[in-house]
Amino acid sequence: MRRLAFRPLLGLWLIVAAALPATAATRSYALEAAGSSVAFSVAFGADTITGTMPVLRSDLKIDFANVAASRVAVDLDVTGAQASFPFASQAMKGPRVLDAAEFPQISFTSTAITRDGDTARIEGNLTVRGVTRPTVLTARLYRPAGSSPQDLDQLTVILDGALARSDFGATGWSDMVGDTVHLTITAQIRATT
Amino acid sequence: MRWRNGPDRFGLITRMLHWAMGLGIIGMLGFGTVLSRMQPSLGNIWLYGLHKSVGLCLLALVLARLAWHRISPPPASLTEGIAPWQVAAGRWAHRLLYALMLAVPLAGWIGSAATGIDVQVFGLTLPNPFPVSEAWDKGGFLAHAVLTKLLMAVVALHVAGALHRALWHRDGTLRRMLRA
Ligand code: HEM
Repeated sequence: MRRLAFRPLLGLWLIVAAALPATAATRSYALEAAGSSVAFSVAFGADTITGTMPVLRSDLKIDFANVAASRVAVDLDVTGAQASFPFASQAMKGPRVLDAAEFPQISFTSTAITRDGDTARIEGNLTVRGVTRPTVLTARLYRPAGSSPQDLDQLTVILDGALARSDFGATGWSDMVGDTVHLTITAQIRATT
Repeated sequence: MRWRNGPDRFGLITRMLHWAMGLGIIGMLGFGTVLSRMQPSLGNIWLYGLHKSVGLCLLALVLARLAWHRISPPPASLTEGIAPWQVAAGRWAHRLLYALMLAVPLAGWIGSAATGIDVQVFGLTLPNPFPVSEAWDKGGFLAHAVLTKLLMAVVALHVAGALHRALWHRDGTLRRMLRA
């Protein structure tokens, strides 16, 4: 695993925006698959199941002048999900939980983004198992250590959130596996415009 | 040493199959009950694998047993001095035992396979001939739970019948299953 050394950027959000020409304030980013992951964890009795899910597509537009005009849309590949012990991956992808054969993607689309101190609050619609529910993620934005505050070409977004899998009908093994699934999404993004 | 069945005796193969499966089935009925009440964790989840492995071996054994009895038919039941309803009860108990020895592990296999988790016999992954679906998962395990209760009742009847013959009638019914 690569050691990350990033500086929080959101605090500088407005300062950065002021230094940029207005037209350049909204930028589109592409996800770098290599440094990005969607990690989840869920209780399993006294233990914890952890795992990852690959990102299929992402559409990221960040408006440094007006956070509210930013948007995020991400699709995840359920069929490629991996969990921390042999049968958990299959159990999770099977019909009792995510039913990957029927619903191969999980998607998230932001509906409102607001600044909240050093973080951003991303409200959006999360679709799991074909069921869409409003969900809130917390975002922190970092730039690589040593880069100049004006250089927004390469950034790292860390998104934290949680969901109740019962909200989406993914109730399999609810006697063994917890209902709350914690998510940590690490996205290394590179500007395309 | 006589391996094959004769007109009035059980051969070694049939007797070995009988006792191995008897032990296995009674053990599995207890094991499965414990399993269904257990709080699973990373430390004990291997017990599910063991239950499936032993159960599938028992399924293989009942198929072997049915095949063997085509090659070497077992002797007819001892019926002298036995009330006809008891003879009929014994015959139906045996038929039901065979049906359940097939249906119980098959239902467990169908339910397990329907969850999408690989079914393994002591680490060897079996091909999955069954649908991966929530309905088959529910149906398979419901059948497994109900049929195992029926199996418990028929096994109890079978043991009671054998003891009744051994202790009351004192005919050779139990003895000839124990030794040649
Ligand atoms: C002769 C063979 C078998 C016997 C006697 C047997 C017996 C049992 C019993 C008594 C239970 C408890 C049912 C309940 O009360 O809910 C059980 C549960 C279970 N059996 Fe079997 N079983 C056999 C074969 C199999 C096979 C072949 C499989 C799978 C390949 C299997 C998979 C399971 C599973 C996963 C459970 C747990 C279900 C739950 O937790 O609700 N069994 N078994």
